[in-house]
Amino acid sequence: MNIVVLMKQVPDTEAPVEIAESNVAIDTEDTKWAINPYDEFSLEEALLIKEAKGDSKVTLVTVGPDHVAEAIRVAYAMGVDEAIHINDEIDDEVYGAVDPHTTAAIIAAALKDVPFDLIIAGQRAVDDDSYLVPALVANKLNLPIISLVTKQETTDTEINCVQSIDGGTAVVKAALPALITTQKGINEPRYPNFRAIMKAKKKKVDERELEDIGLDPENFGINGAKVKIRSMEFPPERGQGKIIEGSSPAEKAKILVNLLKEEASVI
Amino acid sequence: MLTKIADQRDIDFVLYEQLGIESLLTSKKYQDFNKKMFDMVLKEAKNISVKEFLPACAECDKVGVTFKDNMVTVPDCLRKPHHLLFKGEWGALTEDPEYGGQGLPFTIAQAAMEYITAANQILVSYIWLGHGAGKMIELSGTQKQKDLFVEKLYTGEWGGSMLLTEPEAGSDVGALTTSAKKMDDGTYELTGNKIFITNGEQNLTDNIIHPVLARIEGAPQGTKGISLFIVPKIWVNDDGSLGEHNDVLCTGVEEKMGLHGSPTCSLSLGSRGKCRGLLLGEANKGMEIMFHMMNEVRLEVGTQGFTSGSLAYLCALDHAKQRRQGRSIEKVGDEEAAQVPIIQHPDVRRMLLRMKSYVEGMRSLIYYTAFCMDKKELADNDEERDRQSKLVEILTPVVKAYSTEKGFDVCVEAMQVLGGYGYTREYPVEQILRDCKIASIYEGSNGIQAMDFLGRKLFGNKGKALDCLVKEMKECVAVAKEHKAIKDLATDVEKAVDKLEEICRNTMGVIMSRQMPSAFASAHPLLDVTGDVIVAWMHLWRATLAQTRLDSKDRIFYQGKITTAQFFIKTILPVAMGKLDAVTYEENPAVIMEEGAF
Ligand SMILES: Cc1cc2nc3c(=O)[nH]c(=O)nc-3n(C[C@H](O)[C@H](O)[C@H](O)COP(=O)(O)OP(=O)(O)OC[C@H]3O[C@@H](n4cnc5c(N)ncnc54)[C@H](O)[C@@H]3O)c2cc1C
Repeated sequence: MNIVVLMKQVPDTEAPVEIAESNVAIDTEDTKWAINPYDEFSLEEALLIKEAKGDSKVTLVTVGPDHVAEAIRVAYAMGVDEAIHINDEIDDEVYGAVDPHTTAAIIAAALKDVPFDLIIAGQRAVDDDSYLVPALVANKLNLPIISLVTKQETTDTEINCVQSIDGGTAVVKAALPALITTQKGINEPRYPNFRAIMKAKKKKVDERELEDIGLDPENFGINGAKVKIRSMEFPPERGQGKIIEGSSPAEKAKILVNLLKEEASVI
Repeated sequence: MLTKIADQRDIDFVLYEQLGIESLLTSKKYQDFNKKMFDMVLKEAKNISVKEFLPACAECDKVGVTFKDNMVTVPDCLRKPHHLLFKGEWGALTEDPEYGGQGLPFTIAQAAMEYITAANQILVSYIWLGHGAGKMIELSGTQKQKDLFVEKLYTGEWGGSMLLTEPEAGSDVGALTTSAKKMDDGTYELTGNKIFITNGEQNLTDNIIHPVLARIEGAPQGTKGISLFIVPKIWVNDDGSLGEHNDVLCTGVEEKMGLHGSPTCSLSLGSRGKCRGLLLGEANKGMEIMFHMMNEVRLEVGTQGFTSGSLAYLCALDHAKQRRQGRSIEKVGDEEAAQVPIIQHPDVRRMLLRMKSYVEGMRSLIYYTAFCMDKKELADNDEERDRQSKLVEILTPVVKAYSTEKGFDVCVEAMQVLGGYGYTREYPVEQILRDCKIASIYEGSNGIQAMDFLGRKLFGNKGKALDCLVKEMKECVAVAKEHKAIKDLATDVEKAVDKLEEICRNTMGVIMSRQMPSAFASAHPLLDVTGDVIVAWMHLWRATLAQTRLDSKDRIFYQGKITTAQFFIKTILPVAMGKLDAVTYEENPAVIMEEGAF
C-alpha cells in the first residue's frame, strides 16, 4: 500500500512568536520550528499501517522554505521512506504557498506523479488554523475525504473510520484511494530512536521547485491567493482571575451564578 | 507547570561559541557527524525529556518505592519513560555502537544528559548504573562477558547497580568483608551484606547485573585485596538465555530524604550459600577497574548537582517574574503605587544573579571538562594526550564536589525566592532540593574528593596538573586583557589565579611537614576556592566572547554574559580571595582542638 502523509512545519508552540514589521506575518528570524502536532499523528498512523500490512511505502509531502528540511529529518527518523519537499520560495523571501488555496494547488500538483492509495493529513495546522488544505487537496484530486478520524481500519480497497463529530462519533467508510485527516487520540506519535536520528541525516530529500511540478510561479503567491491577511495582532492579555469567597460550595456557586449573570452577562 | 528545564541558549553558547565543539568534527572519529546531527540529538533529548520524563518526576517522588517479600516495586509512572529511554537508545551515548552505544562525543552527550537529568533524576540513575556496569565489563571483561552483558546494560534492557558499601565500609571501601571463594567451574561463590545500593532490586527490568566488590579468600587486607565480580540477579547462561535466580536477597529499602522513586537497598549475598559470580578482570585489581570509570561517574554526579541548581534557578526566575509583591523601592511610601513583580526588588535580583552566575559557571566548567575528555581521546600525540588527561584529572574532584555543593546552595536560594510557596509541595523546588542533597555524599563524599584533590591531584603528580590548569587560565586572561572594557575583570581573575597557585603550592609543602593534618583540614576549603577561581575564569572567558558580539541581534543575551561575569568577579571572587587567606592559616584549630572540647 502506498501512503502519502501531508506535513507542515509550524512555529514550535512552546516558543514565543513576534509579529513582523509588515504586520501581516510573524517574524520568523528566530523562530523555532516543529512538525505540526496533528501531522505527527498522521505520520504515526501511516507508519502503523505500514508496519501492520508490510510491503507498504510511506511518502511524505511537504511545502515550505529551506528550513523545512529539519522537520523532514525528524520524519525520516520516525521512519518515513521517502520525502518530497516542494520548496516554494519563488524569490528572496517571496513564497508560492501563501494561503490554503495556493498550498493545496501545489500539493495536488506534486501528487500527480506519486502513486498513492491513502493520503493522511492532520485535521489542521496549528499556526493558521484554517482547516482547509486537506479538503481542498481532496477536492482537486477528486477523492473522498473523512475528517477528524480517531480510529481507522484499512483493507486493500477501502477504509473504515471512526470520526469524531459534535457530541459523539460516527463510523464512516470510503473506497480507496481516499484522504483522511487525523484527530487527537488516534495514536501516540513515536519518538525517533537514536540510531534513526543518525541515519536520517544521510537520507536524500527529493526537493523540487514549482516549475519542476509543472506550475507557473506567476500564478502563485499573492497572485493566486484567495485569502489575504490584512493585519495581525495578539489576543488581549488575560486579566486577573477572581477568587470567589464564600463559606460553603453552595454559597460560592450562588455568588458565581450571580456574577456570570450580572457582571459578565453570559447567562 | 515547569516546561523550561534547561537554558538552551546558554547550552548552545557553551557548546558552539565558548568551546567551539565543531572542531571535533574534523577528526576521523567524528567525521560522520555534523552540527545538524548534534542539534537534532539535543532537540530530541529535550523533546522527550519535557514530554515524557518530566511528568513522571513529581509522581515518582509522591508514590515512592514499596518493599514487600524481598521485592521492590518502583512507581508505575517510571515504566513508560524507562521503556522510551530503552527504545530511543539514550542509554550509552558516548559508547561504542558495536555494544549498543551511540558513539557521540562526551561534550554533546553532556548536553543531552543535561536535559534528561533535569527532567528526571530517577530515570537517569538507571542510565548511569547500567552504563557504569557495562563500561567496567567492556574495559576489563573477557570476550564472552562482553558479549553476554554489555549491550543489554548499555541499552538499558537490563538494569545495573554498584555494590561497594557495607556497614563497616563506607568511605573506607578497603574495610569491606564480603568474601568470594573460587569454585571448581571457575565461578566464585560470594557471601556478604551490602547496604545503600541504588536500584539494587527493582521490578523495571528483566534482569539486574550487579558489579560487586569482594575479597577472595586469603587476599591481602585493604584495597589491594579487593576484586570485582559480576553477579547477575538471574544467572545468564552461555547462550545468553536466563537461568536460575541467583542468591541475592533484598532485605530492605531505606526511607530517605529524596530520590523516592529510586530504591536504596540492603542486599544479602549468599544467605542460602548459593550466590554465584564471575570474576571481572584480574584478581585483586577490583579498585583499579573501578578507577577507570571514576572520572565519568564523578562527572555524572557533578551533573546531577549542577542540573538541580539550574532547574531550581529556572523555577525561581519564572516565579520572580510572575509573583507581584511589594512596591518598587523607588516608590516606598506611595500607597497608591501598584505591586510589582518581585524580580524588580534589588534583593531578589541579587539572589537571581547569584544563582545564574553559579549555574552558568558550572555549566561551562562541566562542559569544558567533558571537552577535555574528548580532546584527550582525539589527541594525536602523547604530549597533548597527557595535558588533556591532567586537566581532566584535576578538574574531576572540582566538578564533583563544587557542583554538588553549589548546586544545592542554588536550590536553597531558589526556595528563598519562592518564599512560602517554595517550601510547599505545590512547587517543584523543594523536591529538587531534597533530591539534590545526596550528590555531595555518594560517589566519594565531598570530603573524600577534597583529599583526592590535595593528595593525588595536586601533590601526587608534583603539581604538574596544576601547571596545566594555570596555563589554561592565564591564556584566557591574556586574551581578555586585550579588550579594554573587561580588562579590569581580567586583572582581578589574574590576581586570583596567581594567589590560588601560590596557596596550592604552599599547601602541598605543608603536606610534607609536621602540620600535615592541618593541610588536610584545609583540603575542602582549598577545593571549594579552586572551584570559585575556575568559575571566575569561565566567566571571564564567556565575557570575552560576548564582548565581541554586542552589536548582534542578541545584544541583551551577550550583555547579560558580561554583567553576570561582573557580578561573579566583583562580588563573589573577592570573598574567594579571603577564603584563600584562610587556607594559609597553618596550624588549623580544627586539628589541634582536643576531642573533649567539642
Ligand atoms: C541514596 C544513597 C544511594 C547510594 N547508592 C550507593 C550504591 O549504589 N552503591 C554503593 O556502594 N553505595 C551507595 N551509597 C553509599 C554511599 O556511597 C556512602 O554513603 C558514601 O560513600 C559515604 O559512606 P558512609 O555513608 O559510610 O559515610 P562515612 O564513610 O561514615 O562518612 C561520614 C563522613 O566522614 C567523612 N570521612 C570518612 N572517612 C574519611 C576520611 N578518611 N577522611 C576524611 N573524611 C572522612 C566523610 O567525608 C563524611 O563526611 C549510597 C548512599 C545513599 C544514601
